[in-house]
Amino acid sequence: MSARVAFLMRHSPYGTVYPAEGFRAMMGTGVFEMDIVVVFVDDGVYAALKSQKPEELDMKPLGDGFPALAEVGVKEFYVHGESLAERGLSAGDLTVDAAVVDSARLAEVLAGCSAVLPF
Amino acid sequence: MVLDGPYQHQAADSAVQFVKAARAKGHEIVGIFLFADGVNAANRFINPPGERNVGRQFDELGAAGIEVVACTACAKFRGLKPDLKSDHVKLSGLGSLAEFLGKAERFVTFAA
Repeated sequence: MSARVAFLMRHSPYGTVYPAEGFRAMMGTGVFEMDIVVVFVDDGVYAALKSQKPEELDMKPLGDGFPALAEVGVKEFYVHGESLAERGLSAGDLTVDAAVVDSARLAEVLAGCSAVLPF
Repeated sequence: MVLDGPYQHQAADSAVQFVKAARAKGHEIVGIFLFADGVNAANRFINPPGERNVGRQFDELGAAGIEVVACTACAKFRGLKPDLKSDHVKLSGLGSLAEFLGKAERFVTFAA
């Protein structure tokens, strides 16, 4: 059985290295034989926000990277609805087409994975 | 997977203790992947006066036959040149992480 791995994006895009490393890890492991599931939760929903402009931080816009994951076969995205609502956002504000899920459904998605990598 | 460096946070210590405890219970450790600041635990010049040497602890796990891998790209970000690396830690890419994910029944992340 091939691995089914969830990448849990929990942090806003630029304050720490975690979301950028999570993205690199998806890109780097997505080319191998495994199913990858990407989940945006808590401040992690900001990581996939459209129109990020971090140039003044001399950094690259992380949100723009997620659509490119399709090139390595990563196409399954989930976003925690409550996390979006708490921040006044909707799924349409994200750079990828993510299924909006509640906490119960999110727990099911994670339970169905062989590993969960928190970034 | 170890996502944070030694001494700043508990993650690297916890990983070492977890691996030792799991082995003592008869579990096999498929590998240890040092990612992001975790690669700092692979520096062989770590020399904390009067304190536990977390770098040496990872080197010893490698010497004991566990595959301890530090992310090559993360090492470059942090100036960890190959000649600074502990003998029993190897530099490799995310392919190693993918391999561990494919082999292991359980995957544990140690982070701040």
